[in-house]
Amino acid sequence: MKATVAEAVEVGTQLPSLTVCFTRERLIRYAGAATDFNPIHYSEHSAKQAGLPGVVAHGMLTMGTALRVVTNWIGDPSRVTSYSARFPRPVVVPDDADGVEVEFSASVSAIEGSLVTVSIEAISDGRKVLGAARAEVDLGVRVPHRDHES
Amino acid sequence: MAISEAHAGRRYPGIDPYQISAAKIAEFATALGDDNPRYRGQSPIAPPTFAAVICAPAWNQLFSDPELEISLERIVHGDQRFTFFRPFRAGDVVIAKVTVDKVRVRTGSELISATVDISGRDGDQICSAQATFSHVRRAPR
Repeated sequence: MKATVAEAVEVGTQLPSLTVCFTRERLIRYAGAATDFNPIHYSEHSAKQAGLPGVVAHGMLTMGTALRVVTNWIGDPSRVTSYSARFPRPVVVPDDADGVEVEFSASVSAIEGSLVTVSIEAISDGRKVLGAARAEVDLGVRVPHRDHES
Repeated sequence: MAISEAHAGRRYPGIDPYQISAAKIAEFATALGDDNPRYRGQSPIAPPTFAAVICAPAWNQLFSDPELEISLERIVHGDQRFTFFRPFRAGDVVIAKVTVDKVRVRTGSELISATVDISGRDGDQICSAQATFSHVRRAPR
Protein backbone atom coordinates (compact mmCIF):
# COMPACT_ATOMS: atom_id res chain seq x y z
CA MET A 1 0.00 0.00 0.00
CA LYS A 2 1.12 3.51 -0.65
CA ALA A 3 2.01 4.82 2.80
CA THR A 4 0.54 8.23 2.16
CA VAL A 5 -3.02 7.07 1.43
CA ALA A 6 -4.25 6.43 4.98
CA GLU A 7 -2.61 9.60 6.29
CA ALA A 8 -4.11 11.88 3.66
CA VAL A 9 -7.54 10.35 3.12
CA GLU A 10 -10.74 12.06 4.18
CA VAL A 11 -14.32 12.10 2.98
CA GLY A 12 -14.32 14.03 -0.27
CA THR A 13 -10.73 13.15 -1.22
CA GLN A 14 -10.55 13.04 -5.01
CA LEU A 15 -8.62 10.18 -6.59
CA PRO A 16 -6.56 10.78 -9.73
CA SER A 17 -8.94 10.37 -12.67
CA LEU A 18 -8.48 8.24 -15.77
CA THR A 19 -9.62 8.53 -19.38
CA VAL A 20 -9.63 5.41 -21.53
CA CYS A 21 -10.62 4.83 -25.16
CA PHE A 22 -12.74 1.76 -25.79
CA THR A 23 -12.10 0.47 -29.29
CA ARG A 24 -13.37 -2.65 -31.05
CA GLU A 25 -9.90 -4.11 -30.52
CA ARG A 26 -10.26 -3.66 -26.76
CA LEU A 27 -13.68 -5.33 -26.80
CA ILE A 28 -12.31 -8.36 -28.67
CA ARG A 29 -9.37 -8.52 -26.28
CA TYR A 30 -11.68 -8.36 -23.26
CA ALA A 31 -14.07 -10.94 -24.74
CA GLY A 32 -11.21 -13.39 -25.06
CA ALA A 33 -9.66 -12.60 -21.69
CA ALA A 34 -12.99 -12.81 -19.85
CA THR A 35 -14.38 -15.58 -22.10
CA ASP A 36 -17.52 -13.49 -22.58
CA PHE A 37 -18.50 -14.14 -26.18
CA ASN A 38 -21.93 -12.54 -26.21
CA PRO A 39 -22.10 -11.43 -29.88
CA ILE A 40 -23.50 -7.98 -28.96
CA HIS A 41 -19.89 -7.13 -28.07
CA TYR A 42 -18.48 -7.80 -31.55
CA SER A 43 -21.32 -8.23 -34.06
CA GLU A 44 -23.28 -5.22 -35.35
CA HIS A 45 -25.93 -7.62 -36.63
CA SER A 46 -26.45 -9.26 -33.23
CA ALA A 47 -26.34 -5.96 -31.37
CA LYS A 48 -29.07 -4.49 -33.60
CA GLN A 49 -31.18 -7.63 -33.28
CA ALA A 50 -30.94 -7.21 -29.52
CA GLY A 51 -32.31 -3.67 -29.92
CA LEU A 52 -29.00 -1.90 -29.32
CA PRO A 53 -27.78 1.00 -31.47
CA GLY A 54 -24.56 -0.86 -32.26
CA VAL A 55 -21.79 -2.97 -30.77
CA VAL A 56 -21.50 -2.23 -27.06
CA ALA A 57 -18.76 -2.68 -24.48
CA HIS A 58 -19.07 -5.39 -21.87
CA GLY A 59 -20.43 -3.87 -18.66
CA MET A 60 -17.67 -5.76 -16.90
CA LEU A 61 -15.04 -4.08 -19.10
CA THR A 62 -16.33 -0.68 -17.97
CA MET A 63 -16.57 -1.84 -14.37
CA GLY A 64 -13.13 -3.48 -14.41
CA THR A 65 -11.50 -0.44 -16.02
CA ALA A 66 -13.18 1.88 -13.51
CA LEU A 67 -11.63 -0.02 -10.62
CA ARG A 68 -8.18 0.92 -11.95
CA VAL A 69 -8.80 4.38 -10.48
CA VAL A 70 -9.02 2.78 -7.03
CA THR A 71 -6.24 0.21 -7.37
CA ASN A 72 -3.89 2.81 -8.89
CA TRP A 73 -4.55 4.90 -5.80
CA ILE A 74 -4.07 2.24 -3.12
CA GLY A 75 -1.39 0.35 -5.06
CA ASP A 76 -2.32 -3.03 -3.57
CA PRO A 77 -5.43 -4.47 -5.30
CA SER A 78 -5.84 -7.14 -2.60
CA ARG A 79 -7.21 -4.41 -0.32
CA VAL A 80 -10.45 -4.20 -2.30
CA THR A 81 -13.12 -5.98 -0.21
CA SER A 82 -16.22 -5.25 -2.26
CA TYR A 83 -17.19 -3.60 -5.52
CA SER A 84 -20.60 -2.96 -7.02
CA ALA A 85 -22.10 -1.05 -9.92
CA ARG A 86 -25.16 -0.80 -12.12
CA PHE A 87 -25.01 -0.59 -15.90
CA PRO A 88 -27.63 2.08 -16.70
CA ARG A 89 -26.80 2.37 -20.39
CA PRO A 90 -24.39 0.65 -22.73
CA VAL A 91 -21.17 2.16 -24.06
CA VAL A 92 -21.58 2.04 -27.84
CA VAL A 93 -18.23 1.44 -29.51
CA PRO A 94 -17.91 2.58 -33.13
CA ASP A 95 -15.95 0.61 -35.71
CA ASP A 96 -13.23 3.20 -36.27
CA ALA A 97 -9.68 3.96 -35.21
CA ASP A 98 -10.59 6.22 -32.28
CA GLY A 99 -13.31 4.27 -30.48
CA VAL A 100 -15.15 6.05 -27.69
CA GLU A 101 -13.78 7.85 -24.66
CA VAL A 102 -14.80 6.87 -21.15
CA GLU A 103 -13.82 9.19 -18.29
CA PHE A 104 -13.45 7.70 -14.84
CA SER A 105 -13.33 9.76 -11.66
CA ALA A 106 -13.70 8.82 -8.01
CA SER A 107 -13.82 10.26 -4.54
CA VAL A 108 -13.93 8.96 -0.99
CA SER A 109 -17.55 8.86 0.17
CA ALA A 110 -17.26 7.20 3.59
CA ILE A 111 -14.66 6.15 6.15
CA GLU A 112 -15.20 3.72 8.99
CA GLY A 113 -12.13 2.58 10.88
CA SER A 114 -9.78 1.22 8.24
CA LEU A 115 -12.56 0.76 5.66
CA VAL A 116 -12.79 3.43 2.99
CA THR A 117 -15.66 3.60 0.51
CA VAL A 118 -14.87 5.11 -2.86
CA SER A 119 -17.64 6.26 -5.20
CA ILE A 120 -16.73 6.05 -8.86
CA GLU A 121 -18.21 7.84 -11.86
CA ALA A 122 -17.87 6.71 -15.45
CA ILE A 123 -18.95 9.12 -18.17
CA SER A 124 -19.09 8.46 -21.89
CA ASP A 125 -20.61 10.80 -24.45
CA GLY A 126 -21.69 13.05 -21.58
CA ARG A 127 -23.74 10.37 -19.85
CA LYS A 128 -23.19 8.09 -16.89
CA VAL A 129 -22.38 4.55 -17.94
CA LEU A 130 -22.00 3.19 -14.42
CA GLY A 131 -24.55 3.77 -11.69
CA ALA A 132 -23.91 3.73 -7.94
CA ALA A 133 -20.39 2.36 -8.48
CA ARG A 134 -18.76 1.83 -5.11
CA ALA A 135 -15.62 0.05 -4.04
CA GLU A 136 -14.76 -0.63 -0.45
CA VAL A 137 -11.09 -0.90 0.45
CA ASP A 138 -9.48 -1.94 3.70
CA LEU A 139 -6.43 0.25 4.23
CA GLY A 140 -5.28 -2.04 7.04
CA VAL A 141 -4.75 0.86 9.41
CA ARG A 142 -7.35 3.04 11.06
CA VAL A 143 -7.78 6.27 9.22
CA PRO A 144 -7.00 9.15 11.59
CA HIS A 145 -10.20 10.74 12.84
CA ARG A 146 -10.95 14.15 11.46
CA ASP A 147 -13.79 16.48 12.28
CA HIS A 148 -15.57 15.82 8.97
CA GLU A 149 -16.51 12.35 10.17
CA SER A 150 -19.89 11.87 11.78
CA MET B 1 -41.50 -23.29 -20.63
CA ALA B 2 -39.70 -19.97 -20.39
CA ILE B 3 -38.01 -18.60 -17.32
CA SER B 4 -40.45 -17.55 -14.59
CA GLU B 5 -40.61 -16.58 -10.93
CA ALA B 6 -40.83 -20.30 -10.15
CA HIS B 7 -37.14 -20.69 -11.05
CA ALA B 8 -36.01 -18.78 -7.97
CA GLY B 9 -33.78 -21.05 -5.93
CA ARG B 10 -32.67 -23.07 -8.96
CA ARG B 11 -29.11 -24.31 -8.50
CA TYR B 12 -26.55 -25.53 -10.98
CA PRO B 13 -23.90 -28.20 -10.42
CA GLY B 14 -20.88 -25.92 -10.54
CA ILE B 15 -18.09 -25.44 -13.02
CA ASP B 16 -15.21 -27.84 -13.55
CA PRO B 17 -12.32 -26.90 -11.25
CA TYR B 18 -10.49 -23.98 -12.88
CA GLN B 19 -6.78 -23.42 -12.34
CA ILE B 20 -5.83 -19.76 -12.45
CA SER B 21 -2.58 -19.19 -14.33
CA ALA B 22 -0.20 -16.25 -14.28
CA ALA B 23 -0.64 -16.06 -18.06
CA LYS B 24 -4.44 -15.71 -17.82
CA ILE B 25 -4.08 -13.04 -15.13
CA ALA B 26 -1.65 -11.10 -17.33
CA GLU B 27 -3.99 -11.48 -20.32
CA PHE B 28 -6.93 -10.17 -18.29
CA ALA B 29 -4.96 -7.24 -16.85
CA THR B 30 -3.78 -6.35 -20.35
CA ALA B 31 -7.39 -6.41 -21.60
CA LEU B 32 -8.20 -3.85 -18.90
CA GLY B 33 -5.13 -1.81 -19.90
CA ASP B 34 -3.89 -2.22 -16.33
CA ASP B 35 -0.12 -2.28 -15.81
CA ASN B 36 -0.23 -2.80 -12.00
CA PRO B 37 2.93 -4.82 -11.17
CA ARG B 38 0.95 -7.07 -8.79
CA TYR B 39 -0.70 -8.63 -11.86
CA ARG B 40 2.61 -9.60 -13.46
CA GLY B 41 5.54 -11.89 -12.71
CA GLN B 42 5.68 -15.42 -11.33
CA SER B 43 3.22 -15.14 -8.40
CA PRO B 44 0.66 -12.53 -9.36
CA ILE B 45 -2.71 -11.82 -7.85
CA ALA B 46 -5.56 -11.11 -10.26
CA PRO B 47 -7.48 -7.88 -10.76
CA PRO B 48 -10.57 -8.12 -8.51
CA THR B 49 -12.94 -8.25 -11.49
CA PHE B 50 -11.09 -11.35 -12.72
CA ALA B 51 -14.01 -12.90 -10.84
CA ALA B 52 -15.92 -12.45 -14.11
CA VAL B 53 -13.62 -15.03 -15.75
CA ILE B 54 -14.72 -17.57 -13.15
CA CYS B 55 -18.35 -16.45 -13.26
CA ALA B 56 -18.57 -16.81 -17.06
CA PRO B 57 -18.84 -20.61 -17.20
CA ALA B 58 -21.18 -20.59 -14.19
CA TRP B 59 -23.44 -17.98 -15.83
CA ASN B 60 -23.32 -20.02 -19.04
CA GLN B 61 -24.77 -23.02 -17.18
CA LEU B 62 -27.73 -20.80 -16.37
CA PHE B 63 -28.01 -19.16 -19.80
CA SER B 64 -27.82 -22.50 -21.63
CA ASP B 65 -30.38 -24.26 -19.42
CA PRO B 66 -32.94 -25.41 -22.02
CA GLU B 67 -35.80 -25.07 -19.55
CA LEU B 68 -35.23 -21.31 -19.24
CA GLU B 69 -35.31 -20.62 -23.02
CA ILE B 70 -32.72 -17.86 -22.80
CA SER B 71 -30.92 -16.42 -25.85
CA LEU B 72 -27.48 -15.15 -24.96
CA GLU B 73 -27.63 -12.20 -27.37
CA ARG B 74 -30.76 -10.94 -25.59
CA ILE B 75 -29.06 -10.95 -22.18
CA VAL B 76 -28.00 -7.54 -20.84
CA HIS B 77 -25.98 -7.24 -17.64
CA GLY B 78 -27.93 -4.89 -15.36
CA ASP B 79 -25.84 -4.72 -12.21
CA GLN B 80 -23.04 -6.51 -10.45
CA ARG B 81 -21.80 -6.77 -6.91
CA PHE B 82 -18.66 -8.56 -5.76
CA THR B 83 -17.65 -9.36 -2.21
CA PHE B 84 -14.01 -10.41 -1.97
CA PHE B 85 -12.81 -12.57 0.90
CA ARG B 86 -9.29 -12.75 -0.51
CA PRO B 87 -7.64 -12.03 -3.86
CA PHE B 88 -7.43 -14.58 -6.68
CA ARG B 89 -3.87 -15.85 -7.04
CA ALA B 90 -2.01 -17.69 -9.78
CA GLY B 91 -2.08 -21.38 -8.90
CA ASP B 92 -5.51 -21.24 -7.23
CA VAL B 93 -7.85 -24.03 -8.26
CA VAL B 94 -11.34 -22.64 -7.90
CA ILE B 95 -14.90 -23.81 -8.34
CA ALA B 96 -18.02 -21.71 -8.81
CA LYS B 97 -21.68 -22.47 -8.27
CA VAL B 98 -24.52 -20.33 -9.52
CA THR B 99 -27.93 -20.04 -7.88
CA VAL B 100 -30.94 -18.17 -9.24
CA ASP B 101 -32.00 -15.82 -6.44
CA LYS B 102 -35.03 -14.22 -8.03
CA VAL B 103 -36.84 -13.82 -11.32
CA ARG B 104 -39.08 -10.84 -12.05
CA VAL B 105 -41.19 -10.98 -15.18
CA ARG B 106 -41.69 -7.55 -16.72
CA THR B 107 -43.38 -6.37 -19.87
CA GLY B 108 -41.01 -7.46 -22.61
CA SER B 109 -38.26 -8.77 -20.39
CA GLU B 110 -37.31 -10.91 -17.45
CA LEU B 111 -34.98 -9.73 -14.69
CA ILE B 112 -32.83 -12.57 -13.41
CA SER B 113 -30.86 -12.17 -10.18
CA ALA B 114 -28.21 -14.78 -9.61
CA THR B 115 -25.33 -15.35 -7.21
CA VAL B 116 -22.09 -17.10 -8.06
CA ASP B 117 -20.17 -18.41 -5.08
CA ILE B 118 -16.49 -18.89 -5.85
CA SER B 119 -14.38 -20.99 -3.54
CA GLY B 120 -11.04 -22.71 -3.42
CA ARG B 121 -10.47 -26.46 -3.57
CA ASP B 122 -10.62 -26.65 0.23
CA GLY B 123 -14.01 -24.96 0.27
CA ASP B 124 -12.60 -21.60 1.43
CA GLN B 125 -14.74 -18.74 0.16
CA ILE B 126 -12.92 -16.41 -2.23
CA CYS B 127 -15.65 -14.28 -3.78
CA SER B 128 -19.41 -13.92 -3.94
CA ALA B 129 -20.73 -12.34 -7.13
CA GLN B 130 -24.33 -11.15 -7.33
CA ALA B 131 -25.64 -10.09 -10.72
CA THR B 132 -28.88 -8.98 -12.29
CA PHE B 133 -29.43 -9.72 -15.95
CA SER B 134 -32.22 -8.46 -18.13
CA HIS B 135 -33.42 -10.91 -20.75
CA VAL B 136 -35.20 -9.09 -23.55
CA ARG B 137 -38.14 -11.26 -24.57
CA ARG B 138 -38.88 -9.49 -27.88
CA ALA B 139 -38.37 -11.92 -30.73
CA PRO B 140 -35.53 -11.09 -33.14
CA ARG B 141 -36.74 -9.54 -36.36
